[in-house]
Amino acid sequence: MKSRKIVCRCEDITEEEIIHAIEEGYDDIESLKRYTGATTGACQGKGCLMHILRILSQKTGKSPEEIGITTQRPPVNPVPFYVLAEGEKE
Amino acid sequence: MRVAIIGSGIAGISLAYFLARSGIDVVVFEKRYPLYGASGRSSGGITLQFDKPEFVDLAKESLKIYDRVQSEVGFNFLYRHDGYIKVARNREDLEKLEKEVRVAKTKGVKAKIIEPEDVKEFVPDFNPDAIEGASYSEGGVIFPWPVIWGFAKGCKEMGVEIKKMSEVSEIIIEKGFVKGVKVNGEVYKADYVVNAAGAWSNEVSSLAGVGLDNRIIKEEVCVSESLKPYLDPYILDVSTGVYLSQSVRGEIVGGILGSEVEKPETSSTFEFLTKYAKRASELIPKLKGLTILRQWAGVYDVAKDEIPVVGLTSVSGFIQFNGLGKFGMCIAPALAKELAILIIRGENRKIEKFSPLRLKIHH
Ligand SMILES: Cc1cc2nc3c(=O)[nH]c(=O)nc-3n(C[C@H](O)[C@H](O)[C@H](O)COP(=O)(O)OP(=O)(O)OC[C@H]3O[C@@H](n4cnc5c(N)ncnc54)[C@H](O)[C@@H]3O)c2cc1C
Ligand code: FES
Repeated sequence: MKSRKIVCRCEDITEEEIIHAIEEGYDDIESLKRYTGATTGACQGKGCLMHILRILSQKTGKSPEEIGITTQRPPVNPVPFYVLAEGEKE
Repeated sequence: MRVAIIGSGIAGISLAYFLARSGIDVVVFEKRYPLYGASGRSSGGITLQFDKPEFVDLAKESLKIYDRVQSEVGFNFLYRHDGYIKVARNREDLEKLEKEVRVAKTKGVKAKIIEPEDVKEFVPDFNPDAIEGASYSEGGVIFPWPVIWGFAKGCKEMGVEIKKMSEVSEIIIEKGFVKGVKVNGEVYKADYVVNAAGAWSNEVSSLAGVGLDNRIIKEEVCVSESLKPYLDPYILDVSTGVYLSQSVRGEIVGGILGSEVEKPETSSTFEFLTKYAKRASELIPKLKGLTILRQWAGVYDVAKDEIPVVGLTSVSGFIQFNGLGKFGMCIAPALAKELAILIIRGENRKIEKFSPLRLKIHH
């Protein structure tokens, strides 16, 4: 059996899949994470963003700085509706 | 003939697709990446119910185009046609829905007014006491990412170059004729330059010395954890602007219709979250236990008369495809198809009413 090197555990994405997407033209971090789903799982990329950046950097020859870190979208810690709904009184 | 398109949102990318299909040489410049603009941030609600009859025609045609293009390019746009419900909190807004339903019916669109109780047929946990009335019409939800990627794939296969990280900083004009654009210090020749820059449309028009005074709207959205399939139709509360739907991944995607800002910026606010969560859990009390994972914002442009700005301008070869507004995903492909005809033939009566020249802006 071919070895599957998982780079994003939350979304079950392999290194091979990432490389394939880069080759198809999703070769900037924002497009790559949206196309593959990598970094969008339960941990929101804490476990995989660095791996993804490394692969992207190797494939495109750009430095991790040039590629850039993707925008962290608030809220970083999940907030339930009821807490929010009670947060504002009319 | 060579056409340079500025912006790879739904407007730019669908226009590129139709032009390329007619054998035109097209290049698309995108200052960031293809999902950077409003299209990539949109919630993908597709409705055929509008107060303006011309919007109904455009939306009907656009839906056909989405359907056709996804098979042409072999990409699933994940369109779920489970209907589009608009709810109203007061009598006055309900009357607007009644008018929209009448317009929709004259256009052969399936639409009807329903009682608050009847919303439960579509959404069992809906709270009828939160509204005065509602309408149900054909429509649903499309996933904007594969839409943009699919059109882009089709474009690339036809030889269109889509240049990312390529901001147009200058539009070159000689004796009133467009000659090309300047991008990252390099000049690209073109016979036509199309402004498909969404919320940045005013800036791009001013590069051509053409006046455009569109308003810029910022809209915020958020997404919850995934649930089992639960919410079939797209729901928009026209009284508060709050809307929500469930994505194919099971997340509840929800937002509030946007409001005007000075210039394009996409910061997220806590105020939005509280306002959204409050109304959403009034409409569907069961959502109260749900958790919000991410939030973001997008910006789009709209003309003062709220009609898209599409067509030739006073500068020969400079074309506008702007002002798509809050329902841009519903109407853009049909406008793109007609605009491609206008560019190729030099005229197209079908989209005369969207002409930028109607705005009569003097600078
Ligand atoms: C949160 C949100 C929810 C929405 N929900 C819906 C919905 O449910 N249904 C619906 O129908 N519509 C919806 N809309 C509206 C819809 O998304 C927009 O009308 C539509 O996406 C506008 O498309 P566009 O191509 O004109 O602009 P955009 O998608 O914004 O594309 C413009 C592109 O131009 C690029 N650009 C700008 N300046 C330059 C330059 N100088 N050089 C190169 N590139 C440049 C930008 O980077 C951008 O990518 C929503 C919008 C938002 C923000
Ligand atoms: S490991 Fe990739 S999102 Fe958690």
